[in-house]
Amino acid sequence: MTTSIGSKPVINLNGVSKSFGATKVLKEINLEVRPGEVLVLIGASGSGKSTVLRIMAGLETADSGEVWVNDVPLHDVRRAKEIRGHVGMVFQQFNLFPHKTALGNVTLALIKARKMSAVDARKRAMDVLDRVGLADRAEHYPSQLSGGQQQRVAIARALAVEPGIMFFDEATSALDPELVGEVTEVMRGLARDGMTMVVVTHEMGFARKTADRVVFMDKGVIAEQGVPEEIFVTPQNERTKQFLHRVLDH
Amino acid sequence: MSTELLTTSLSILLHGLVATLLLSAASIVGGTLIGLLAAVLRSFGPWGSARVAKLYTELFRGTPVLITLMFIYFGVSYFGYAIDVFAAGVVGLSVYQGAYIAEVFRSGIEAVPEGQWEVSQILGLGKTQTFFSVVLPQTGKIVLPPLIGQYLSLIKDTSIVSMIGLSELMHGGQAIVDRVGKPVEIYGLVAVLYFVVCFPLSQWVRHHDRRSLLS
Repeated sequence: MTTSIGSKPVINLNGVSKSFGATKVLKEINLEVRPGEVLVLIGASGSGKSTVLRIMAGLETADSGEVWVNDVPLHDVRRAKEIRGHVGMVFQQFNLFPHKTALGNVTLALIKARKMSAVDARKRAMDVLDRVGLADRAEHYPSQLSGGQQQRVAIARALAVEPGIMFFDEATSALDPELVGEVTEVMRGLARDGMTMVVVTHEMGFARKTADRVVFMDKGVIAEQGVPEEIFVTPQNERTKQFLHRVLDH
Repeated sequence: MSTELLTTSLSILLHGLVATLLLSAASIVGGTLIGLLAAVLRSFGPWGSARVAKLYTELFRGTPVLITLMFIYFGVSYFGYAIDVFAAGVVGLSVYQGAYIAEVFRSGIEAVPEGQWEVSQILGLGKTQTFFSVVLPQTGKIVLPPLIGQYLSLIKDTSIVSMIGLSELMHGGQAIVDRVGKPVEIYGLVAVLYFVVCFPLSQWVRHHDRRSLLS
């Protein structure tokens, strides 16, 4: 990416561990993300990459360690709520509100949480829907849209609150192969515009072309990280090599 | 049955039917509010209130409606107060049916995927806002058929309120039989009147179920 990357991290994970029951899913993770950076997390399922993302977004709480996102200490239960409404997240299953039109999906939080007037919210919503190429679908319900269109509405909805950081949790995994492109195209556009992004994905093409840095996770630890060239062309870690061999040669 | 008996009976029974409908309507409103409250407390309330809500639903689902009605009607006078028999009927049916309606709402709330809560949290919506703007509107579609089914059962349960002396449809039928006999004809007529009220509702549920199966 050619956009400039700031120096002071907007995300800082310091010795973060997390268990679900007896299973340790994250072991002492240290990770920084700088403003404008596009960080892509790759790894096998169960490697802990989605958990890292969900901790950054405030959906899970770390058992130990410090988590700073946008100057909010997410490890502090009294202050963790401050992050809400300031980051965006796009989910594998879209999570659109089925009882609302595309427009209604985008305006809901603007009106209810941001207390914007209906007129202003509508204007902002039409802007972001236009940005993802769906201004002409504003009055459609999710059930009337294709998977790719639904995910683009979900991206528009996340962008409408003007988040400082966008999280993508396997945003294209539930899509038919021919619909993946329209979503990754929107994500590339965001990256070009300088959005700070943390992306969990199985789309190695996206990781290679769009990431500033790729982090390979394995069994709850960061096994290797570097610029895409380093990870994809000259991986050092044996587990990275095996993983890439599996996902690229099928 | 003579025409004269039929017309006299019908006028008494229709009078009772009005009471049945009023009792049903008031209990449906009361039961729905109590049920919704109990469902919300059980799903999201602080620990203590969730336990109380659970105890409430289990208690009334495990006892006959007649016992509930007796407890309310005679219990209130036991403590030295008087309660109107219609009011006792409304309170008894609301509290009793509320326990079932709570379970209908609870299954509807739980059917809404966790992701809806998560995305709402990220977007900055509070829990209450999420419940009323995101979750509750989605439960409508899921709970409406079983909810109407529960209302049907409530309407039929109003006949039991005749046992504490309310002059509703069933009570009207009993009064006629006491005077002129002919239980088969009179109770047959009573049954027809209940059926006329309930049948359209059950048809609506069937229609709705078929439609949601198709969609």
